[in-house]
Amino acid sequence: MPSSRILPEFDLLLPESVAEAVKMLKKHKAKATVMAGGTDVIVSATQGFCTPCVISLAKIKGLDSVKYSKSGGLKIGAMATLQTVADNADVKKHYPALHKSAAINGTPQTRNSGTVVGNVMRASPSGDCACALLALGAKVVFEGPKGKREVSLDDFFIDYKKTDRKPDELAVEIKVPVPKKGQVSAFNRMNRTTLDLSKLNAAVCLIVERGVCKSARIAMGAVAPKTVRLVDSENLLKGQKINASVLEAISASVGSQIDPITDVRSTAEYRKEVSPVLVRRTIEEAVA
Amino acid sequence: MDKQPITLTINGREYNILVAGHHTLLQVMRDQLDLTEVKYGCGRGECGACSVLVDDENEPSGRKVVDSCLILAATMDGRKITTSRGLGESGKPNVVQQAFVDESGIQCGFCTPGMVVKSTALLERNPKATEDEIRFGLEGNICRCTGYVKIVDSVKKAQKAINKKKK
Repeated sequence: MPSSRILPEFDLLLPESVAEAVKMLKKHKAKATVMAGGTDVIVSATQGFCTPCVISLAKIKGLDSVKYSKSGGLKIGAMATLQTVADNADVKKHYPALHKSAAINGTPQTRNSGTVVGNVMRASPSGDCACALLALGAKVVFEGPKGKREVSLDDFFIDYKKTDRKPDELAVEIKVPVPKKGQVSAFNRMNRTTLDLSKLNAAVCLIVERGVCKSARIAMGAVAPKTVRLVDSENLLKGQKINASVLEAISASVGSQIDPITDVRSTAEYRKEVSPVLVRRTIEEAVA
Repeated sequence: MDKQPITLTINGREYNILVAGHHTLLQVMRDQLDLTEVKYGCGRGECGACSVLVDDENEPSGRKVVDSCLILAATMDGRKITTSRGLGESGKPNVVQQAFVDESGIQCGFCTPGMVVKSTALLERNPKATEDEIRFGLEGNICRCTGYVKIVDSVKKAQKAINKKKK
């Protein structure tokens, strides 16, 4: 009987290095769940969803950093908390969509434990940081028995909570490219209360030159089995001056690219109605 | 399942104990160490009744607030933890706890240990917090009695007292 007072039994492993963690993953594969902050793994365990073994990254040094450089872009370690990312001045300046997605997520307590990389690895379609990072063109870096592997988020989310991660791979960091000249971004979400999962969310990353959008990446969550890019809307926006009639066309294009369902958080009708508005507002916020 | 030996420093006192890998910090504090001031409310990181402070070198105050129900005790080996019992000197109330008493920010008292821990951390991080920032900062701590008005008043009173002391 699942309980939030006492978790189901599992073997807790505490590797002290990435190499040791990879060895454990090679041995246990899908019988092991990797735990970074624990805010998702433990809640799942209270609902009875748990593997025989949990590999905690708590003892591995050096995984919790957030580093930005003009040449290398942003590197977020697997154990970097949502609050660490939200507090980071470079993130706030260069990647506003990511900053907001981390800063308004959950509660101060869960932001102090939960991680950005964990949000992406969980691959819940309503993931907030996942949505912002998809729009920003981020990559996941894995360490596995065969060495390092990088996967673009464009290729990472495959289906509902299904990702490109192999069972013996450990996500060690997420990389976000250096912002291009004229890059702006924004993130928005709708939810019942601030600590709820999102009913729907949207993130945009645009390259704007003299009021003209040179290229766009638009991502949405909770409107499909996985976080998705609205490629048709992106193509409509490309090369256009961002004005009222263009925004109206973008809004009109949203509906055919999403496939929302009715669940505990919202209805398909609400999500279909509000998505075009949320996308438009997010574009307006990015260029404001 | 083997138990793991760990050391926890809680409210300045060292505990050398054996813990099961799947036991949360909340469970170990309440059931093994009799630190029942830390409350079990939801067990899912929504109510904040289990809030404690843990050491963090990135925070200006050296500590941050977390939900102990979402932490496995074994992952806290070697760490420093503060509960509501240890906020003040020698078991006395700290400025925040005293303000909650003075401003009637306490009714049934169940949310209070978590509230005072959260409020202490909030004011340590942001001593100049506006009311909006106080309310945003208190999210993750639920009260079923007060309607939060007296709680916000208590935090503001503590804030005044802390900023007065600094002058």
